Amino acid sequence: MQNSQQTARVGLFFILGLALTWVTFETLSGGRVFKNKGYTLIAGFESLKELKEGDDVRMAGVKVGVVEKTRLAGRRAEAILRIEGDTKIPSDATASIVMAGLIGTNYIGVDLGSAGVPPLAPGSEIRTKVTPDINAIMTELGNLGQKLEGALGAFGNSMNGDGRNPGLFQKLDRLVTENGERVNTTMTNLQEITTKLNRGEGTLGKLVNDPALHDELVAAVGEIKTTATQARVFVTDAQGLLAQVKTGKGPLGTLVYDEAAANDLKATVANLRQVSDKLAKGEGTLGKLINDDSLFTSAQSTLRKADRAIDGLDDSGPITAVGIVAKSLF
Amino acid sequence: MPACSPTRNPFTAQETPAVGVAIEGLSKSFGPRLVLDNITLSVEPGEIFVLMGPSGSGKSVLLRHIVGLEAPSAGRVTINRQDATAETTREHVRMAIVFQAGALFNSLSVYDNLALYLREHRVTNEAGIREKVMRALQILSLEGAAEKFPSELSGGMKKRVAIARALVMEPQLMLYDEPTSELDPVMSATISEIIASLKNEYHVTTVVVSHDRDLALNIAERVGILMDGRLIFLGTPDQLRQPEDPQVANFLYPKIDLKNPRYKQLET
Amino acid sequence: MKQLLSIFESFGSTLELLVRAGSYVGTLPRQRARFIEQCYLIGYTTLPIVAILSFFIGSVLALQAGYSMQNFGAKQFIGSLVGLSMARELGPVMVAILLAGRVGSAITAELASMKVYQEVDALVTMNIPPARMLVLPRLAAALAMVPVLAIIADLVGWFGGAIVAKYVAFISIEPESYFAVLRRYMVFKDVLNGLIKAESFGFVVVLVCCNIGLNTRGGPREIGAAVTRAVVVSLILILVLDYFITKALM
Repeated sequence: MQNSQQTARVGLFFILGLALTWVTFETLSGGRVFKNKGYTLIAGFESLKELKEGDDVRMAGVKVGVVEKTRLAGRRAEAILRIEGDTKIPSDATASIVMAGLIGTNYIGVDLGSAGVPPLAPGSEIRTKVTPDINAIMTELGNLGQKLEGALGAFGNSMNGDGRNPGLFQKLDRLVTENGERVNTTMTNLQEITTKLNRGEGTLGKLVNDPALHDELVAAVGEIKTTATQARVFVTDAQGLLAQVKTGKGPLGTLVYDEAAANDLKATVANLRQVSDKLAKGEGTLGKLINDDSLFTSAQSTLRKADRAIDGLDDSGPITAVGIVAKSLF
Repeated sequence: MPACSPTRNPFTAQETPAVGVAIEGLSKSFGPRLVLDNITLSVEPGEIFVLMGPSGSGKSVLLRHIVGLEAPSAGRVTINRQDATAETTREHVRMAIVFQAGALFNSLSVYDNLALYLREHRVTNEAGIREKVMRALQILSLEGAAEKFPSELSGGMKKRVAIARALVMEPQLMLYDEPTSELDPVMSATISEIIASLKNEYHVTTVVVSHDRDLALNIAERVGILMDGRLIFLGTPDQLRQPEDPQVANFLYPKIDLKNPRYKQLET
Repeated sequence: MKQLLSIFESFGSTLELLVRAGSYVGTLPRQRARFIEQCYLIGYTTLPIVAILSFFIGSVLALQAGYSMQNFGAKQFIGSLVGLSMARELGPVMVAILLAGRVGSAITAELASMKVYQEVDALVTMNIPPARMLVLPRLAAALAMVPVLAIIADLVGWFGGAIVAKYVAFISIEPESYFAVLRRYMVFKDVLNGLIKAESFGFVVVLVCCNIGLNTRGGPREIGAAVTRAVVVSLILILVLDYFITKALM
């Protein structure tokens, strides 16, 4: 019959409408149709930032519910979390607002808490912690860059000197250069004496026969002895220095036996790695943002400076002088 | 005040009081045009009153006042002492009007046209409705037309369906607007007979608006003639056979004079 | 002055009709058949044109948005733009305009011809108020069907946008990311907002068209004039109401 067919169509049409509305509702509001399913928790924050109703609540990354309501309660903002199903949230679990993307999608992240702790009762309050939002991170990153620049500058100063006070390398350089001259002089003297001794072999009998000369010889030998002692003392000194340099082979940090400077360098390198890690993580929009930042350029130039300083350590004079001393002595 | 003689219900044979209509000083104007001018007349319970008059004299407007479709500019119309324009009147008095063109519901079949009133007012169940509708169709010899739609009917059948539709309402007051217009003489006579027999059998107060002289002379108990919004005659059909008023005589028995046609008279 | 008066008069008669129809709400269960018939006419038979139009409106929206947003790298927000515009504004307004053109004109034509051919008078003398038999089922059907049409318009529009976003070369956004952005920036309240608007528009359109139809006087020529007037008044009312409802719902 025409009429019943019409009724069926209208009924179907209406049900279709209801179903579509329901689906839309489910999709857009995180399905609060099951209002009685699960239970609610209250999470208080200083600021909810970009959190909005319908956002996920995730425990260790797994969705366990939705943000049912956001409201202002006195001096703080509260998010009512609807925990779906029978997920138990330990009472020492901490909730925080987590960014899922750079363009303002947030969710409430809840950590696992500890095992064996009684679960939170429905309607109770969950502990919260403040997480920096994107703005805070950007600010921090800026600060970090400044610190890095300062640290690298200090490092450069300690290595190269800042004009008034000599740096580590200059000190080392000067030490070895000065001693080298003395070593050279001593060596020359020593050579001359031995040459004289060698040449005096013929005249030694003459000298022995001649008592006056003998006295002179004894005195000369005493002199040689003294000189030899002196030479030995110096060689010990040089050996000690060489040993220290020798143990310094390998990483740059330990090459420089000034422990404080090495620690500084280590910390700086660690900082550097942290920053580069962060930069690597922030690939994309953040990378771009940093691209335009003068911070990146200055960091690069600082790194270049450090590079140059390290190059200087490799082929500057002092090391070569020490090497010459060591080679000519042993 | 008209005495209330009973109306016999055509279906249940129960008697319900017939109603009278009183029109007092009724005037109606549409904008500047005065259509009805101070009309006073009354229709007694159970009588057939025929209202005649040339086209455009305000007969239909007067009829519409009686059923409360128009509100008077001055004066009043009462049915059983109740104001015709009040909605409660229609609840207390069952009245039916047979419109000139039938005014059948085009979207409904003949059967559903008749059943509409009964269904809407929940007079009885569907079986009872069927019985009443078939009875009314039978009275007007329309049994075969029950499942037809108004567009499939001839003019005469439309009028009879309209009468049947009025009949199922078991009215206390029946009004006919030009029931015989546009019909051939035999069909006109048939409709006149139906009106008269319905009245005679069921004692329904009947008002007929028509310019059909035969109808008026044969079935009317009293006749009124309306001309240019004024009632120029009120009396029995017998009085109409030899009218004294030349206006009435000219209206009822116009001479067709080819040598001196009216349109030329009007020009001079 | 006279025109102003007639505007107030039609406003008053519309309200009166609403009150009358409202007073018969209790008779709705008995008028189930009529209600279903009107639902069929208002909802079911209007569906195809609503679906076609909203599909293309969603598509064009995505296309235009993609074209103008590619310049500043905001293409990925097309989903939310199409979603919000369809749900909050274009879906309801488009459904209302189609309703005025397709259903409202038919209502006015039907009621005006019933009035002109005295069927309405016949109803009145039969003590069947036209507000009850002719207006109430239509209003109820509009209330029941318009939100359905609107939600279908919304969803079809969204999908239209998604298809354009995926297959138009200079946009090329996967449906997953389109709908992810749409979901991210919309709440159900936006859709509900649109449904309330559509509901109001549909109700007003049907009411106004009924009133204009029932107040027609004259003959066939006036029926045509009444239909034109009903559609024009409906369109004006939709857009005027749109502003105020939008503002009220904000």
